[in-house]
Amino acid sequence: MGEKGAHQPSSPEMTVKVTEAQSARQGPPSTRRVLPREMYGFLFVGPAILFFILVSIFPLLRTFQMSLIDVEAGIPLFVGIRHYAELVQDPWFWSSLTNAFVFTVASVILHIFIGMVLAILLNETWFSTTLRNIMRGLLILPWVFSTASAGLMWTLLYHPFGLLNYLWVGLLGQEMPIEFLAKPGLAMASVVAVNTWKAYPFYMIIILGGLQAIPPELYEAAKVDGANAGRRFWHVTLPQLRPILIAISTIDIITTVGHVDLIRMLTRGGPLRSTETVAYYIYKTALLDGNLGYGAAVSTLMLIMVAILIIVYLRLVSRGSESGETSF
Amino acid sequence: MKRASDLRFRYGYLIHQVFVVSLTTLSAIIILTPVVWMINAAMRPIKEVLTYPPRLDPSQLTFEYMASLIENELYRGYFINSTIISLSTLAIVLVLGLLAAYGFSRFKMVGGRYMLLGIMALLMLPTVTLIVPYFRLAHLVGLYDSLFGLIVVNSAFILPICIWLLKGYMDAIPVDLEEAAMIDGCTRLQAMQKILVPLAVPGIVGTGTFVFVFAWNEFLLAVTLTDSPGSQPLTIGLAAFFGQFVRDWNSIMALSTITSIPLMIIFVLFQRWVVQGMTSGAVK
Repeated sequence: MGEKGAHQPSSPEMTVKVTEAQSARQGPPSTRRVLPREMYGFLFVGPAILFFILVSIFPLLRTFQMSLIDVEAGIPLFVGIRHYAELVQDPWFWSSLTNAFVFTVASVILHIFIGMVLAILLNETWFSTTLRNIMRGLLILPWVFSTASAGLMWTLLYHPFGLLNYLWVGLLGQEMPIEFLAKPGLAMASVVAVNTWKAYPFYMIIILGGLQAIPPELYEAAKVDGANAGRRFWHVTLPQLRPILIAISTIDIITTVGHVDLIRMLTRGGPLRSTETVAYYIYKTALLDGNLGYGAAVSTLMLIMVAILIIVYLRLVSRGSESGETSF
Repeated sequence: MKRASDLRFRYGYLIHQVFVVSLTTLSAIIILTPVVWMINAAMRPIKEVLTYPPRLDPSQLTFEYMASLIENELYRGYFINSTIISLSTLAIVLVLGLLAAYGFSRFKMVGGRYMLLGIMALLMLPTVTLIVPYFRLAHLVGLYDSLFGLIVVNSAFILPICIWLLKGYMDAIPVDLEEAAMIDGCTRLQAMQKILVPLAVPGIVGTGTFVFVFAWNEFLLAVTLTDSPGSQPLTIGLAAFFGQFVRDWNSIMALSTITSIPLMIIFVLFQRWVVQGMTSGAVK
């Protein structure tokens, strides 16, 4: 667009004409260009940005502020960093961090692994495209259900007299039913299983999109060079999927670390607080125990950790833009 | 010789097909078991839910549980709340999202890149880190336990991804068409309305489905900001029901099924566009 030049004349002849240009701008042909083009964009983006400032960013700042106060009997009392000092000595906070770490790492690995396997299967040539599309639809289905529903479905399956225990006791001939959600070591694995079931479809679809975007010539070339399926996967598929895998693992880590509803539905942090993650700890201290200041302090620490992850990720993404890998 | 290689190719193809199809089918069966089990439990007599051995075929089908829930004033209320919350969130998010996506897609702005990065960061902001200030602020501004408050915060959490998806769609639509319309005398808003939006319909439908499913299934914000059935959505109703009638698996699963029916319908109708939206390079 040539409009930018009209505002900031750079060549000598144009500097001479600048007054004429200014007067001409008020003339009839350019009345629709009263606003510079850059400003025009703000008109469209503005409402959303304003909304974010009011509803996301302002409360975000309030989180920091609230972590420094205590609300007792309705009167806010400034306590400085007392909550943070307590936090460092709070064994339940540290155990919740460990639990969150286990929960997140296990879930993310499983999401991406299962998503990848199923996406590759769906990306193969099928004798019937209709059948493939039906399968794709069925495999996405778990994503549609609410975490509340998913939690209940699985609670029924995990029930001492449920389907899974029927397989265990009835078919494998074991003596005792397994208490999937009530045994400290096993409860976390059970919760991870439900989270895997619930969230893998999202990643499967994104990986499928990435697979479809890989130019077939690359595979042809690799085939000509004598690469078998495994080597083609390692040398063509994985490098091509790299940007997508970075994106989804970051998004997945952050989403998974923030899960409260799943744990609320399945175990409520138990047994013996073995499934209490940081997110659930925030919910519990702030909303169930009513300790808002302390909850805000835990939230702030969690925000800092998430922010570090986001910054690292955005760095990676921005660097990708120079090599044309991303849309920035 | 040609026949031999042809045959080998065909055998290879056959084995490949059997492998791919059976593995996918097996996965689908395992993955759908919880869903089938839920619907199954919702529609069979009470004695048959937790029997040994479990029966896949109910001895008789009954809609008794679902019917009694639909007739129940309380659960109808939850259902209506969920509908209002989801549709209003959808409306707010689509209006703000379309405008913002248009702005980001069609204008070079000072700081536009940083705003986009900021939106990307908001996209990843965990809900749980904001429940404390939301809880407090909602009390302060009088939006605690109100549908409106819930709609506003729901919108804030789904808007970033919505802008991101819609921008991706608009970037793929050539700008020439709108410019032609504007030369022909359309204003910018008219050009957007008459040219761009109709072209972006698949993207809008996909994103809209995404928003609706998110809002319908939202739990944490609702549990933070509401206190009475008058403003609570179905997800909370489901959790409360589970807490209250732990043993009545038929009714629990019936309510869970009813909760999921609208989503399953929407999903069957719009699945294509959701998948399209997510596979067309939304995450880049």
